[in-house]
Amino acid sequence: MLSPFRITEVSAHCDLPCGVYDPAQARIEAESVKAIIAKVADNDDPDFRVRAMIIKEQRSELVKHHLWVLWTDYFKPPHFEKYPQLHTLFNEATKLAGAAGTKGELDAAKADELLAKIDEIAAIFAETKQG
Amino acid sequence: MPGRRALVLVRVRGRSMLPTYRDGDVLLVLRGGRPRPGRAHVVRLPPGTDGSPGPLAVKRITGPAPGAPEHWWMDSDNAAEGVTSFDVGPLAGGRIEGTVIGLVWRPLG
Repeated sequence: MLSPFRITEVSAHCDLPCGVYDPAQARIEAESVKAIIAKVADNDDPDFRVRAMIIKEQRSELVKHHLWVLWTDYFKPPHFEKYPQLHTLFNEATKLAGAAGTKGELDAAKADELLAKIDEIAAIFAETKQG
Repeated sequence: MPGRRALVLVRVRGRSMLPTYRDGDVLLVLRGGRPRPGRAHVVRLPPGTDGSPGPLAVKRITGPAPGAPEHWWMDSDNAAEGVTSFDVGPLAGGRIEGTVIGLVWRPLG
């Protein structure tokens, strides 16, 4: 409730309070990134390559976004207690989608590493859904 | 609108009102006035699918909802982010808690 006696926090967040989360969102975008890297390797057309770079950066940003939503909104303190590696996993995964990873580079191995990290997060996510 | 008219302070969390308001901004809000189309407002979002109460949020009220008298259309300023009436439908008047008067403080940096 809004009160004149304190500062109330008001949300300007990106997520619906619908409680629907799924690491598959991040995975699909990461698969797009991997596919784009493969297509660029087979194509010398400069226009195509520029378009591919732009899309690759956008998709990489979406991977980071979906991972951040899981990290900050889905996973709760008890999860981080039970899975102490979670913070590091998210940190590494978002870095792999960033400027030093698929966003900034054209390295298929980085895309594979990113997918593997997302799968590790997805495995923990699945366990929390069973509990 | 809920509550008697009063001036209150709120702090913005998130990015859905960029570029107008940033994370950490403190806003002066008139609680309990009538909605002012075009201005930012503090609203109570509809409940989640699990029945949990919706959060208080800062949104722009663009105007009366088409075909729904007494309801208001809300939008985020950041087109890329934020729950809007396109997602959750128009808001009943009772969900509009206050009108944003303006920015009173922005974090340094």
